[in-house]
Amino acid sequence: MKVSKESQQFLDNLRIYLLSSGKNEQEINEIVEELEDHLYEAERNGKDVEDIIGQSPKEYMNQVADEMPLDLKGVLKYIPIILIGAFSFILIDDAIRGTMEYSLLELIGYPFIFFINLFIMFRIAFRYLAISSLSETKQWLLLSLVGMVPTSLFIVIYYVDRSFQTPSIEFGNVGVTVAVAFAIATLIGITLWSKSWVTIIIPILLFLPRIFINMTSIEDNTKLIVSGILPLVLVGTYLFIVSKRQQHS
Amino acid sequence: MSSSQILKGILEGCLLSIIGKGETYGYEMMEKLHASGFTMVKEGSIYPLLLRMKKEGLVATTQKQVPSGGPKRKYYSLTPKGEEELKEFKKRWSAISGSVDSLLRKEG
Repeated sequence: MKVSKESQQFLDNLRIYLLSSGKNEQEINEIVEELEDHLYEAERNGKDVEDIIGQSPKEYMNQVADEMPLDLKGVLKYIPIILIGAFSFILIDDAIRGTMEYSLLELIGYPFIFFINLFIMFRIAFRYLAISSLSETKQWLLLSLVGMVPTSLFIVIYYVDRSFQTPSIEFGNVGVTVAVAFAIATLIGITLWSKSWVTIIIPILLFLPRIFINMTSIEDNTKLIVSGILPLVLVGTYLFIVSKRQQHS
Repeated sequence: MSSSQILKGILEGCLLSIIGKGETYGYEMMEKLHASGFTMVKEGSIYPLLLRMKKEGLVATTQKQVPSGGPKRKYYSLTPKGEEELKEFKKRWSAISGSVDSLLRKEG
């Protein structure tokens, strides 16, 4: 079954629109397949995509999205994964900087924030949202508030840690190796799970240049500037290429 | 109530009636609507409606293999609640269309 290029583009856009609106993936597949079937039949009878959805694809996508419930479980499951990903990222970053020293407060505080966050999400937010009939805007508002909790706790720990000295632990060579191996394995795991290369490619683009620059013998100031700018340029270029490629397909 | 909302209510009743005559899928429903003269209805507009009707428990869906091969197709059938709603729609409709008819006749 093959639909025209215009129809395929509409179907792709619809899928992206519904996914980014936090709808259930299974339900998205169903409606997209159903519309694909309809467009195929319609095109065989000499109609085109505009006859089916009207002049405004955006308006039509909205109508479809309005009838599909927000998939809370689907949205929330990304939060712990983003957090674990961020931890791995920070760990590798610290290892490259060569300062894998953590205060007691950080060692206890960060995992603590992580579990508080899980608890708030699943026990409070998810349960409350599931039984309440809030509008979609209010649901998103609540989810953003929930998302702000760990961020603010991170900031609190950061400042408290600077004001009060707590005993600190420094990772030795073995410790650093184990931690980095663990972090890399996590990022690879997320890549396999999400079927997207972003969690591998972005760390490579960010970290590899710095490692190579540190190995060269250029002046320290230049090193600092180059290793600050180069990763950003590389990541920017990568994102640009990805978005270009998406527009083409 | 805007005219498009009135049309939506009517369209929902018509879809219930079409599905009530036997298991069917989106494109076939649209063909039947067009054959009855519903040419003002945009083809795609039945899908948001069908989504809502499923959410409200009026219709049930099953995926079935198309006889000619190819991918699976979604077939709709009425639930008991849907049959109830169809009965109600028929009653409401005959009351409305009766009154509109008699009023228009007096005017004419």
